[in-house]
Amino acid sequence: MTAAKIIINEIKGYHRFLQFMIALVVIGALASMVRFIFGLGVTTNLNDTYPWGLWISFDVVTAVPLAAGAFTLGAIVHCFHIKKLEPLVRPAIVTGFLGYSLVCIGLLLDLGQPQRGWHTMVYWNVHSPMFEVSMCVMAYTTVLFLEFLSPVCEKFGYHMPLRVLRWLEMPLVIAAASISTLHQSSLGTFFLIAVDKLHNLWYNPLLPLQFWMSAIFTGISIIILEATMVHRYLGQPDESELLEILAKILPWVLAVYLAVKVGAVAFLTHGSLFDRPGLLALFAAEVLIGVIIPMLMFMKQSNREDSRMQLRGAGMVIFGVILNRFNVSMFGMIQPDQVIYYPSVTESLVTIGIIAGHILFFVLLAKYFPIFEHHPETVDYSMPDHFHATEAHEHDQGKGVEA
Amino acid sequence: MSSADMDVTKHKTFLIDTTKCTGCRGCQVACKQWNQLKAEKTVFFSGEGYQNPPAMTEHTFTRIKFRDYEKNGQNEFAFYKEMCMHCNEPACASVCPVGAFVKSPEGPVIYNASRCIGCRFCMIACPFGIPKYEWSKAFPLVKKCTGCYSRIKEGLEPACATACPTAITYGSREEMIKEAERRLKNRPQRYFQAIYGKEEAGGTSILYLTHQPLDELGFKKVTTRPLPSYTWQALRLVPGIFLTMGGGLSLLSWFNHRKERIRQEEGFKNSKVQPEKKDEMKGDNQ
Ligand code: SF4
Ligand code: SF4
Ligand code: SF4
Repeated sequence: MTAAKIIINEIKGYHRFLQFMIALVVIGALASMVRFIFGLGVTTNLNDTYPWGLWISFDVVTAVPLAAGAFTLGAIVHCFHIKKLEPLVRPAIVTGFLGYSLVCIGLLLDLGQPQRGWHTMVYWNVHSPMFEVSMCVMAYTTVLFLEFLSPVCEKFGYHMPLRVLRWLEMPLVIAAASISTLHQSSLGTFFLIAVDKLHNLWYNPLLPLQFWMSAIFTGISIIILEATMVHRYLGQPDESELLEILAKILPWVLAVYLAVKVGAVAFLTHGSLFDRPGLLALFAAEVLIGVIIPMLMFMKQSNREDSRMQLRGAGMVIFGVILNRFNVSMFGMIQPDQVIYYPSVTESLVTIGIIAGHILFFVLLAKYFPIFEHHPETVDYSMPDHFHATEAHEHDQGKGVEA
Repeated sequence: MSSADMDVTKHKTFLIDTTKCTGCRGCQVACKQWNQLKAEKTVFFSGEGYQNPPAMTEHTFTRIKFRDYEKNGQNEFAFYKEMCMHCNEPACASVCPVGAFVKSPEGPVIYNASRCIGCRFCMIACPFGIPKYEWSKAFPLVKKCTGCYSRIKEGLEPACATACPTAITYGSREEMIKEAERRLKNRPQRYFQAIYGKEEAGGTSILYLTHQPLDELGFKKVTTRPLPSYTWQALRLVPGIFLTMGGGLSLLSWFNHRKERIRQEEGFKNSKVQPEKKDEMKGDNQ
């Protein structure tokens, strides 16, 4: 009783926005219960023509690249050794962990037999991209969970596990990047089976490569978006100087992606590209808004330095990738004479609930756990380890130069 | 699961001669009876022409499609039996994460309902749009023509083939192809010169002969390359990419950390030494 009271009081103290998010999450949870009681057919607009709808297109196919910030930044900071960006890593891991947990929930809701989800681990079919993705998502969620344990252990002052985690840091970062490469690209492989179904504008054998590359620039853009939001609304320090480094990497990745995409569409497709004006417009929107404009924007130094421009560019990239994933998994699959699918109320409420849940849990975690206050030198890592000692030292020194 | 190691020539195969089909729909009824499928409420002209029900569903594994056409100023019908093609290399089986669909050694592509997790990838993958879902249920499974596997295990022929008075011949794939070619040769004016299913989707255990050009009858034009090969060309690279990525990044970080440590040990003056790309980036911003 008292515990419940404490929680209620705590929630009463929250900002109105957070209370709104809580309401959305509760509504989403109720809507997903409705799905289990009345069945998929009644509660969704899915049918034999549209076996996959909003839940697959957004909650899985789009949400996975949106959660790519953790692996991208991990690799940039630890493997390419741009240590300055370290302060951004932890929030990215939290976002990634939340993102992937919600992907798992979304996937389970969409399954006809969610109680059999574990079957993928027992009955292997290595020829299935879905098998590949489910294994990777499970493995990667575990990796993210381990990485996410660091702030939890810090919060409760568990030093032994912290040392283990610290020691595991590099292997985890490398595992994260390798596993992510696999499943980000395999999501593209999903649609390689849709021969003669997915329109030529998107269907080509390089789709997996494009999915992987777009995951990288989406990851970077999400970090920019998140850091800017956190600065604006959660009163955390302005990191736009660090984001500038990311804004510098971005146009390169976008340019290579654009080259691959244009090359693939020009040389690796068979059949007509321009027969469906609607799809052509979607394709053009995706490439222009999501790739070309932000690429040109971030090529200019002044734009990279400007926090508002950073946000705008990142926003466009994110919009572009969302549109791209919907184009591939939904719009591009619609045949000329088919009725158009739109999500039902239940489907929409669940997806809105999932997005709200992401924001809500992020804010709550930031509230109760040391996610932004991550300064390795203030934590006792007293491990007799030469390597970590120097690392901490370097960080000090970096700070000094900056100040 | 891939049938590369299977002898497809021995697979039980339907030869469906649409020029001999009378549109009696005996196969449709036999299939319902044998598989104990629920009747569907249907109305005339709810789909194209006389065909009924308007679509294949969880309750309908096969149906006769009707096509109206004109011959010498007369209205004529053409019929086409729609069912699972029992592909030699089935897309539905290759994409299923739990291997619920398998190509049986006898020929039919069979479904293990107790494995299925209900992800509906098979429905996306099938080039003929065959697997259907139990949308009415809270915990749905997939439904499609079984090829009457239980019957052929007992030495019987499929229910629909048994019921058909004229059009369906059933036997090994090798013989059925021979028979089809014989008919094409003997009566060239009767047949459109193609065997649908011989090459489609890499070859199937259902073969069709028609009078009309295939597209006029509503046959889908599908690739002749087995569909699983489209995804496999990417998936087969997975172990290699994993190792390259893991190894590459490990090397890179080992190298970068080592460089860092050496620099640290030798004092700060060494930071001028041969600035590399990443260092440049870092240097710019410091
Ligand atoms: S026709 Fe479709 S359902 Fe039947 S075996 Fe081929 S891929 Fe599978
Ligand atoms: S719905 Fe069932 S049979 Fe179809 S791919 Fe998914 S698990 Fe396999
Ligand atoms: S083979 Fe059996 S299940 Fe398939 S259509 Fe014929 S009767 Fe129905």
